[in-house]
Amino acid sequence: MSTQTAARPSGWHSTTGRRAPATGSVVRGTILAAGALAILAPVVWAALSSFKTQRELAQRPPSPLPESFAPDNYTQALGEFSFGQYFMNSVVVTVAATALTLLINSMAAYALSKYNFRGRDTLFLITLSTIMIPIQVILLPVYQVVANLGMVNSYWGLIIPPAATPTGVFLLRQYMLSIPDELIEAARIDGAGEFRIFRKIIIPLSLPALAVLAIFSVIWRWNDFLWPLIVAQRESLYTLPVALAQFNSQLVVPFNLVLAMSVLSILPVIIIFLLLQRQIVTGVAQTGLK
Amino acid sequence: MARRRRGSAPRLAPYLFVLPNMLVFGLFTIWPAINGFNISLYDSSNGRTFEYVGTENYERILSDPAYWETARNTVVYTIAFVVLVTAASLALAILLNAQQRGKGALRAAYFVPVVISPVVVGLIWSWVLTRQNGVVNELLRGVGLPAPGWLLDPALAMIVIILVGVWVNLGFFTMILLAGLQSIDPNLYEAAKLDGATVWKQVRQITLPLLRPTTMVVVILAAINGFQAFDYIWTLTGGGPVGATTLMVQYIYENAFQSPIQYGLASAAGVIFFVVVFGVTMLNYLVGRRREAM
Repeated sequence: MSTQTAARPSGWHSTTGRRAPATGSVVRGTILAAGALAILAPVVWAALSSFKTQRELAQRPPSPLPESFAPDNYTQALGEFSFGQYFMNSVVVTVAATALTLLINSMAAYALSKYNFRGRDTLFLITLSTIMIPIQVILLPVYQVVANLGMVNSYWGLIIPPAATPTGVFLLRQYMLSIPDELIEAARIDGAGEFRIFRKIIIPLSLPALAVLAIFSVIWRWNDFLWPLIVAQRESLYTLPVALAQFNSQLVVPFNLVLAMSVLSILPVIIIFLLLQRQIVTGVAQTGLK
Repeated sequence: MARRRRGSAPRLAPYLFVLPNMLVFGLFTIWPAINGFNISLYDSSNGRTFEYVGTENYERILSDPAYWETARNTVVYTIAFVVLVTAASLALAILLNAQQRGKGALRAAYFVPVVISPVVVGLIWSWVLTRQNGVVNELLRGVGLPAPGWLLDPALAMIVIILVGVWVNLGFFTMILLAGLQSIDPNLYEAAKLDGATVWKQVRQITLPLLRPTTMVVVILAAINGFQAFDYIWTLTGGGPVGATTLMVQYIYENAFQSPIQYGLASAAGVIFFVVVFGVTMLNYLVGRRREAM
């Protein structure tokens, strides 16, 4: 698994090594660097501008740097406009939904990968076939279920429905298939209970895959929009994306504050990404796509 | 199987292990998916009382010009998005794969938009593309070019949402293709080079053919992705101007949850959409099967 990330020269460069044709690689390097800068430009521009006052934002032509990097926009939005509350809602939903996803997905994946039981293949096929049918396609009927259970305008409604991710079951199952059956059988002969085997053997051995799923789940739930938009109809339950979209369209919150909160909402995922880049990249590659 | 007998597994355990996941999954995915067909035969103006109307919802939706415009927008968007994002990520993956200096940092930079909240993506782009004092138009004016109303002209707005979609997803598909590229045997390139093949020829005759299975996966994932585009468009154009960038998910959402509520239309559109997406999923499965057979 680690070979994918090992720095191994590949492609037509492997033989030429350091004596690569100079012009070609300079052109290539320049194109790649320029493209990367172009990709990052809007994000950097937003980050810089999030420190500007309303007057500075309206200024023409705009100056690249703000007059000061004082976090006034941030403190004002978090205090006066209760973005602190929306931030907390996002944190609660993301953490709880991810914990639930890891628990129920790993249990299901274990059963689907390491037991022979009637209906196993059917269950797996159903899971697989819905992998591409996310919540927005069946918006209305899902909403009805949630409404009938009284979960509209509650944390439960935000946390539980998206938790049983088929992608997670699939990813974990593929990983658990590689755990040797002998380990499980040996534990069973030693008299270990089924749940104990799961907790003491399967979970520790699946940590790399669980980490990948955790990272993805955090990013998914943190960025979710349509589902929380429907379930969190009361303002006090808004998550960050819902609050941003609603207040941006209603023009009740000054744009400099919306901008600051936008930057605040992308900061956690960018930090997670930069810290855990390797796992994310291998995760994308591992999902049966290699 | 014979070995299984010694430390024999309890029969009940696997069912208990799958139960929580399947309960949530069944309640919030499987059952709604089935029930969706049922609801589409009813109509309601308040979401509480329902009356049976048979296939009337379907007849109404098929004669609704707004539905057809939305369908057309969704198809145009999806096709353009798939073609552009596949071509761009192929080119980027091939370039990145050959790059040695700063490869990690470059890869990270291209991936950043993938993890950003789509709502924020839309917010940022609508702001930089503002006609009057958006930074894009300020730059264009600075070099003496015309400053168009990016989000005000229907055709331009469609181009904008397609390009922003590519901007968001480029890094993701590039990563998938990079993984595919790394599984190609480097010896093939060495042999080709000994035969005097140019870089372009190597790409055309080794890289692209051997990468075809991965490219197919990218095409299908991108198609599904394109069909479901919604979040960032909502804050980028809001579906406008006058519906020019309204795609199917937004149509369903608006009819179901915004006044005037047209419950029947929304549920019928949901069912049709479900069938289309399911078709694409099956295509995915079949192509996957063919890959295994190869």
